[in-house]
Amino acid sequence: MQHDATLKVDNLTVDLLTSKTAVRPVDGVSYSVRKGECLAIVGESGSGKTVMNFAPLGLMPAGVSTELSGSVKFNGRELIGLEDGELRHIRGKSIGFIFQDPMSALNPVRRIGRQIAEMAELHLGLSPSAAEARALELIKLVGIPDPEARLRQYPHELSGGLRQRVVIAIALAGEPKLLIADEPTTALDVTVQAQILRLLKDLRKRLDMAMILITHDMGVVASSADDIVVMYAARAVERGPVEEVLTQPRHPYTRALINAIPKSSDTVGTRFRGLSGMPPILGAPNPGCAFAPRCDLAVAECRHTRPLMSQATHSTVRFACPIANTESEIHGTGTCS
Amino acid sequence: MLRYTGNRLQQSVVLLFLASVVCFTLVVSSPGNVAVLIAELRGMIGSPGYVEQIEQEIGLNKPLLIRYADWLGNVIQGDFGISYRTGHDVNADIMNRITVTGMLVAGGAVVATVASLVLGFIGAFWPGGITDRAVRGFALVGASTPTFFVGALVIFMFAVILNLVPAVGFNGLKSWILPWITVAVLPAAVLSRVVRVGLEEAMASPYVLTAKSKGLSRFRIMFRDALPNITPIYINALGTQIGLMTAAAIIVEPLFAWQGMGDYFLNGVRFRDFMVVQACLLLFLTFFIVVNLVVDLTVMATDPRIRRQRSGA
Amino acid sequence: MRPLVSLVTWLKGLPRITVVTVSLFLFFGIFGPWIAPMDPSAQDLSLMGQGPSATHWLGTDHLGRDTLSRLMVAANTSLTSVGMVLAIAMTIGITMGTIAGYCRGWVEDLLMRLVDVGLSIPSLIISLAVIGIVGPGYWSMVFALALAWWPMSARISRAVAVSIMNKPHIEALRVLGASPLRIYFNHLLPGTIGSVMVYATADAGMAAIAVATLSFLGLGIQPPTPEWGQMLVDALPYLESDPRQVILPGLALTAAVIGFNTLGETIALNRVPKRLSRRQLLTRRMEVAGWHKETSDAA
Repeated sequence: MQHDATLKVDNLTVDLLTSKTAVRPVDGVSYSVRKGECLAIVGESGSGKTVMNFAPLGLMPAGVSTELSGSVKFNGRELIGLEDGELRHIRGKSIGFIFQDPMSALNPVRRIGRQIAEMAELHLGLSPSAAEARALELIKLVGIPDPEARLRQYPHELSGGLRQRVVIAIALAGEPKLLIADEPTTALDVTVQAQILRLLKDLRKRLDMAMILITHDMGVVASSADDIVVMYAARAVERGPVEEVLTQPRHPYTRALINAIPKSSDTVGTRFRGLSGMPPILGAPNPGCAFAPRCDLAVAECRHTRPLMSQATHSTVRFACPIANTESEIHGTGTCS
Repeated sequence: MLRYTGNRLQQSVVLLFLASVVCFTLVVSSPGNVAVLIAELRGMIGSPGYVEQIEQEIGLNKPLLIRYADWLGNVIQGDFGISYRTGHDVNADIMNRITVTGMLVAGGAVVATVASLVLGFIGAFWPGGITDRAVRGFALVGASTPTFFVGALVIFMFAVILNLVPAVGFNGLKSWILPWITVAVLPAAVLSRVVRVGLEEAMASPYVLTAKSKGLSRFRIMFRDALPNITPIYINALGTQIGLMTAAAIIVEPLFAWQGMGDYFLNGVRFRDFMVVQACLLLFLTFFIVVNLVVDLTVMATDPRIRRQRSGA
Repeated sequence: MRPLVSLVTWLKGLPRITVVTVSLFLFFGIFGPWIAPMDPSAQDLSLMGQGPSATHWLGTDHLGRDTLSRLMVAANTSLTSVGMVLAIAMTIGITMGTIAGYCRGWVEDLLMRLVDVGLSIPSLIISLAVIGIVGPGYWSMVFALALAWWPMSARISRAVAVSIMNKPHIEALRVLGASPLRIYFNHLLPGTIGSVMVYATADAGMAAIAVATLSFLGLGIQPPTPEWGQMLVDALPYLESDPRQVILPGLALTAAVIGFNTLGETIALNRVPKRLSRRQLLTRRMEVAGWHKETSDAA
């Protein structure tokens, strides 16, 4: 069924080793994204969603040693175990990246034109002047007004929204098959957020790319994604088509998360429905369910046995809570797959 | 940008003025009667009326402000007066010596710049490796070894043991090598650390992550993305080091028996030849002010953020 | 007891080279004159320029003086001069810095401009100019170096003083009507002195070089008092025949300076995360090896 998956991640585990600690920010997560589709990865900060997408491509900060296991296949090619030299040809060329903070993602002392053009030079083998022309094309594509002048400017001369458009232009310069956007709108003004999201959606359709959208904003998910993976404390707790997961959340964490979104039906003065308790601090993997301490369905067993992702009844959604699953089985009609 | 340059020039002129006041005051406020000192130096201390004659000759009996104005007027015309000790024309002496020191500092600066960029880059490129440890070792030892000891060691190794180049004196290009190495060791060590640490910090910044995500090679990222970002810091540090190299000339020139400005200044200090001290000090201070000005303007030209901020102000 | 414990833990965190060289320098600096095996200025022309022997462990110099004893006593000379220079410089610097930090406004601008100018001129040139005016000698060296050194501590103490003045408890004191003098002497000054001294100590290596340089130039410590820079310049004419007499004092000074410089590096903030050593990596790997890896998907 998923032969045409652009990116297929299977049981990916990431361990990060630093001089002070060892943590496992990603623990046995699987997902996939197909051409032309958008997969949203949702979770609180620190739930491992960024590491999960960056670590297999060798984008980790200095001073950290990364250990990967599981499988990450890009267009059928296994990425885990590749040398950095080989990964380099995939980064930029086949997979483009968009970062959270456009203020710091661009090199402050180099002209915008150069920063876009060097991608085209490197990955498309263009001459410097052809690359400049390509940069101009791209900057028009991402909807930056007065493109010729912008190419000669430096990042600090542009607003946040424009800078994010430049970052997107850079990501597109290698004509990638997959775009990984790490909270692309978090650092932007609300009005600009919508523009950038619309641009990303439009580009994805036009260029027929796959896209992974990392976010903690359910509104962003609802408006742009096809599929969703919900992460909690290094693990995926629920995954499936967006419309189903959002309207009919099954995992207690997803339910709480969606319940926490203020509704238009809320009367003025309604108390904000947050989640009680704190997310766990990452470290050694939890033997049981990491959400158990905050979960109202939790039973003693939850603290000792790790819940596995299993298929929900009558649905393609998979989620990791046997309690909720049996509950729905009792109330529902179908059988467990 | 023009406006900033103008402001900065104005500032430099004020500093130059202050430097001239300091140099003038230092000599005026020096303990002891200069006229007596000169008489002593000329061996005429016994003869009656000679001290008064000298006072008259160098204008000691005039009001301070007039003396300052006279002195400044002469200095601007390039007349630094006459050495009390030797009776030589100070500007003639300086003219003979300034090229030696200029070449020493310029050559040292070139050696230090090349060495520090190469070493710092190599160190940062393979962090934690053997080359990195060697570079850091050099940065530490080089910055901790007194210049006079560096000079002695360099002479000992190259001139005494290996017998490659002349130890002292002045004949041809070969005799420049050891002094250049001697003045360059300390700045090369300090600057290589600036490059090494600066590159490491730059390589940890978000724009380098962007560059990595573009699929660029590590060398290219370091060279094209990280290095331009540390240029302003580097130029600042280089300016300071050029100033320090001028001071090092005071140590290095006597060591190699050269007659440059450093040696001139040192002898002026040793024999309390105030006119020489004053002239040298004024030239050194002027040089530092100019170096600072050039550094600031270059930094502005290389850093687009400052360029905009300052010209917009 | 507790400050002692924290001092020990701090010392343990320092690089070994720092601890060894600095403590050796301090040890010989304090006890040098008492433990030196011979009189450092006792000449014996029959023993000129000898190599190491049972009586003279490091040989003798061109006047037959015992090199080991001279090196030890020179540590004392260096330590006292550096201590004095830094003490005077810090007194001036802390006074200026705290005044600038307390008054702010134009007083601060003026003082800090002065500090900037002072810092941009190499200390050797400032001290030589001063010596040129007042004449050479031990005290003029100390005075000249202190004059070249104070801007550094002034800059640090101003920074510390400003951060103290911005703390809420100072504001509270002001509101409660504490007198300016009381705020200055009871709160600002004690708080500043501590942190400035730590930084100034790291600067001691450069001060030691400055003392030795002036002595090397013949404008600092005068014979017969042994001093490393002066020992080196004394032995320089015999470089070819007896290089040991040049190299030993140079090495002693360099070692002490390396100690203080590494101390300074430790004090300075390092913003870049430390890279894992091979051993750390191994420990982390063992830690992680115990963690389960299981398939997260049910069939």
